Amino acid sequence: MSIEIKGITKQFGAFKALNDINLEVKSGELLALLGPSGCGKTTLLRVIAGLETADAGQILFHGSDATNAHVRERQVGFVFQHYALFRHMTVFENVAFGLRVRPKKTRPSEAEIKRRVHQLLELVQLDWLADRYPAQLSGGQRQRIALARALAVEPKVLLLDEPFGALDTQVRKELRRWLRRLHDEVHVTSVFVTHDQEEALEVADRIVVMNKGQVEQIGTPEQVYDQPASPFVYQFLGDVNLFHSRVHEGWAEVAGQRFAAPGQSDAGALVYVRPHEIDLSRESTEGAIAGQIGHVRLLGATVRLEVQTADHETVEVELVREHYQRGQWQVGERVYLVPRNAQVYADYSI
Amino acid sequence: MSTKPRRSGITDETPWVKWLLTGTALTFIGLFLLVPLVSVFAEALNKGWELYLAALVDDDALSAIKLTLVTAAIAIPLNLTFGVAAAWAIAKFDFKGKSLLVTLIDLPFSVSPVVAGLVYVLLFGSHGWFGPWLEENDIKIIFAVPGIVLATLFVTFPFVARELIPLMEAQGSDEEQAAMVLGASGWQTFWRVTLPNIKWGLLYGVILANARAMGEFGAVSVVSGHIRGMTNTIPLHVEILYNEYNFVGAFACASILALLALVTLALKSWVEWKAERDTEAARAAANAE
Repeated sequence: MSIEIKGITKQFGAFKALNDINLEVKSGELLALLGPSGCGKTTLLRVIAGLETADAGQILFHGSDATNAHVRERQVGFVFQHYALFRHMTVFENVAFGLRVRPKKTRPSEAEIKRRVHQLLELVQLDWLADRYPAQLSGGQRQRIALARALAVEPKVLLLDEPFGALDTQVRKELRRWLRRLHDEVHVTSVFVTHDQEEALEVADRIVVMNKGQVEQIGTPEQVYDQPASPFVYQFLGDVNLFHSRVHEGWAEVAGQRFAAPGQSDAGALVYVRPHEIDLSRESTEGAIAGQIGHVRLLGATVRLEVQTADHETVEVELVREHYQRGQWQVGERVYLVPRNAQVYADYSI
Repeated sequence: MSTKPRRSGITDETPWVKWLLTGTALTFIGLFLLVPLVSVFAEALNKGWELYLAALVDDDALSAIKLTLVTAAIAIPLNLTFGVAAAWAIAKFDFKGKSLLVTLIDLPFSVSPVVAGLVYVLLFGSHGWFGPWLEENDIKIIFAVPGIVLATLFVTFPFVARELIPLMEAQGSDEEQAAMVLGASGWQTFWRVTLPNIKWGLLYGVILANARAMGEFGAVSVVSGHIRGMTNTIPLHVEILYNEYNFVGAFACASILALLALVTLALKSWVEWKAERDTEAARAAANAE
């Protein structure tokens, strides 16, 4: 089922949590709402669920207006960051809850409930935990049970609020891959909120990057990463180095390299370069930025070098471990920086 | 080098200070709690079992016991309902005047029970605000059972709510929201999710409120009128008997209240133990992962 969000605005006192949000969730896709904390992504998710009401705007579920529908009637599944499992019920009863509270005439028989719950527990691979209580489970298990519980009511939409936020890195990585596989299996339209760009890039079909209650960009992970629509998106999706430059006839020059700035008028420009898109060289080319290698940090497969430039700025350069070793780079050595790739944005601050 | 385990300097006290403090506390408890409790039963049984039992099955005594039970039976369910509703409203919702409501709930704790009783006399007594109207319609509140129930309601007002508010606030409303998303009605959410989560706190509050309801003297004394066999509760009956130098009777009735206190204490410990065990088990299981 598709969701259409039209002009949603939500204010908490003087704080504008959502400012005229427009977006469409396509049927069957897995969409990520990505942004820093306080950007309004969770509020938007709760508005879609009906746990929060918008001050203005419209929400359409499969073309029909659901703006004023009660959370009970929306038939959504919601997965909370802190699981929100019913602590006094067993895993089985937790998953069965949504079926048991149905009115008599639509409530499945006890045998049917049992069958469905076990089917769901098998889907999340935790059938053996049916008789345990939530407190007896690990964080990752709890979240999988919460997911099974949400799926039990056969929701038209699955909404996940920072589903892996409370878990440690290893479990997180494992679970998000699992979520992706699960989604490929059940294909329910899903929206999940995260502040972790890696998670969004890895799991989502499309990403909505949000900032300060507004949508910055909507696109596939590739689009968002390779063609960030704004400096904010660029910075949020990874580490950056910032250079100041000027645009001249559609081109900006940094360190002797020319980068396209199509459609931009001649003015000051901000040029962003990712640390892994800078080459180190011992020979000076025209315009290359000279610097001196400061700190060197080994980050597993990659090595991060801090290069101090002549005007006392620090540029981060990331090299593959092998390249670093082959280059025999030394701390204190004089080097030249050559960016391979860059994003140019108009600098409105000048 | 010393092989003694090092103790934290902050909590280090010389042995005699420890003994002095512990001894003072124990002496205090003995003198002010244990001795009176024992003396109640000693005095009650002073002249033997027969007189003790006779004092209890006396008509006026039976009527006092009955009235006390009836009062508690009316006041406790009402306060239970109110307490749960108030705690629910305060813990799960944000609204204007919330802090005022919290303060108001605490009011009976800070007002002298006698004043509480007097307020009811001023409102419903024959010279009170509603007095003439009540008389016209032949409704008796002061010097009658309704007044006693009202006064008891007032003094036991905070117990349940006070117990539940911190508990419900700590639990948050995530589980309720989850239940609603899954399609549960408000009523289903309350019975299936909220109530099971607060049951021990609720029981604890009810036990305390009940003890207070049965033992209340001040407020009830003002509104009751001390009519023997009609508007006397156990504490009032004890006072009357005592003033008449009927010590066996007074202490016999007092022993019922003392027994009630002991039962309350036992129940309270049991509830605490049970609730503690529930959370302990949960914690241990969580840690074992």
